[in-house]
Amino acid sequence: MSELIKMKDVTKVYPLGETEVHALRGIDISIKKGEFISIIGPSGSGKSTLMHIIGCLDVATAGSYFLQGKDVNKMDGNQLADIRKEFIGFIFQDFYLLPDVPAWYNVSLPMIYDRIPPKERKEKAISILKSVGLGDRVNHLPNQLSGGERQRVAIARALANEPEIIIADEPTGNLDSVRGEEILEILSDLHKKGKTIIIVSHEKYVAEKGNRKIHLKDGRVEKKA
Amino acid sequence: MFSGFLLEILRSSVESIKANKLRSFLTTLGIVIGVMTVIGVMSVISGFKQYMATSFSQLGANVLYVSKYPWVMGPMSREEWKKIHQRDNIGLRETEALEEYGASFKYVSPSILRNMKMERGDKEAEEVKIEGASEDFSRIINQDVSLGRFLSKDDINYKRHVCVLGQDVVEALFPEENPIGKKVKIQGRQFNVIGILEERGEMMGQSMDNTAMIPYTTMTAFTGKRSTINIAVYAEEGEETEEEIRWILRGVRDLKPGEEDDFSINSSEALISQFNQLTSTFLMISIAIAAISLVVGGIGIMNIMLVSVSERTREIGVRKAIGAKSSEILGQFLMESVVICLVGGFLGILLGASITKLISLNGNIPFHIPIWSIFLGFGFCFSIGVFFGYYPARKASKLSPVEALRYE
Repeated sequence: MSELIKMKDVTKVYPLGETEVHALRGIDISIKKGEFISIIGPSGSGKSTLMHIIGCLDVATAGSYFLQGKDVNKMDGNQLADIRKEFIGFIFQDFYLLPDVPAWYNVSLPMIYDRIPPKERKEKAISILKSVGLGDRVNHLPNQLSGGERQRVAIARALANEPEIIIADEPTGNLDSVRGEEILEILSDLHKKGKTIIIVSHEKYVAEKGNRKIHLKDGRVEKKA
Repeated sequence: MFSGFLLEILRSSVESIKANKLRSFLTTLGIVIGVMTVIGVMSVISGFKQYMATSFSQLGANVLYVSKYPWVMGPMSREEWKKIHQRDNIGLRETEALEEYGASFKYVSPSILRNMKMERGDKEAEEVKIEGASEDFSRIINQDVSLGRFLSKDDINYKRHVCVLGQDVVEALFPEENPIGKKVKIQGRQFNVIGILEERGEMMGQSMDNTAMIPYTTMTAFTGKRSTINIAVYAEEGEETEEEIRWILRGVRDLKPGEEDDFSINSSEALISQFNQLTSTFLMISIAIAAISLVVGGIGIMNIMLVSVSERTREIGVRKAIGAKSSEILGQFLMESVVICLVGGFLGILLGASITKLISLNGNIPFHIPIWSIFLGFGFCFSIGVFFGYYPARKASKLSPVEALRYE
């Protein structure tokens, strides 16, 4: 399988008043297309920062990052936005759905920025919602849905633009273990369908789902399993 | 495809405004008031202008009025006012001189106006505008008779008690008969009706037909021979005529070279120009007030947009995470502020128009809303939306996605 993500000596430094915080201190990782990766580590280990950089929400202070052979460090804001739009789907711990619009609209949101016509957008959003088992919830507002359902809406949204990579940041963090299992099941299914999945979590049972684990500690990769 | 995107951000702007109805309304109040003022003032002024134009045309185009007092007076001191007040009255002597020596003008008539009651049996017409005039007056003010005849030279010379009635007086005193040849009473004196004036219609809720005309020589029986009168002159030659009138008047009033004129030559044009000056000042003041209220409204918009941006920081983060470009976030928030402003503009136009309509109905003033003022109103609102919405929208677009997502 081809190299999808290749990072070399990536560091991230945040200014914090007079001092600096070294969130990442030289990360070397490579991820192949179709892998299911768990990034684990205690809080403060830099896993969120790493996730942001992989997901092109943030850029490294130093080091190199190639995504499908493209040098991400050389990209401007618009190019990063395009990468996020086309290659990456995010799933967040707190779902981050827009509260005032129905489920289908939340799912269709990424397609707006991809300039998909309204009718097609809605049809596709509904069909994705069906695929995550929410065919009867398309017109519900987020606050009319349970936590598990909300997270499934968020997954549907992440899938809207058919991205190569799904990045999930503590996707089960706000769910009980049963609902959490359901979410992980969906992610496993997506992996089986060929998506590259990256889960960030500090929970062991979540991390076990991945077929490769990346342990972070103090901004460094501790070991690869 | 791009217009689809515009439509989408328009839709989401409307949604977000609807989600905060009260707040959006309060925000846009400044804009509403500003636009309402503009529309209201424009309508009133354009209505008045129209009214004045028709109203002055009743005085007759190309008609000069010789009077003791000027019609158009700027601010003046007590002494100046006293000087005008102490002028000799204008009287029949001046009228005769103008008739005799005038070369560039044909028609001269005294114009002695009094409001008096007219009676016939048990019927009355109150506050009739009775004009003491000569046989030329009909041509000067361009109003003919529709029935019978106008005053004649003999009526004047022999001080006949004859009158020509306006349409309203006819209706009040002769509801079902032909008035020609019948008698009416003006302050106890009997007058023969010889003609009926052409109808002039209504102006600003006031009928222009509540009039009657009698020989000026008869009118002096009511007013006394010494009181000052106006003399109407039909001046086809304009300035030349005015100059001629001046020299005739100076001659008859024994003014020495170097002495000031002790009379005034008035015209409806001077009144119109005075009026226009007045309205343009009024317009300027109103526009200034409207501009201030629009700027205040704009600041309100900016304020609420800043609040909205900070409230929706998380949403901005999400939108960026799923691929929104900075320019698209900018467009979204700019659209929102423009939509709020346009809604305000729409409400303002509606309110302004309603108020205008209301005044118009109660006062019978023919106010109308100029179409261009509506476009002006919307144009202003659009500009304010863009101008005051830009900074908050830019702030939103510049947010880093990571920080926006972390925002609590």
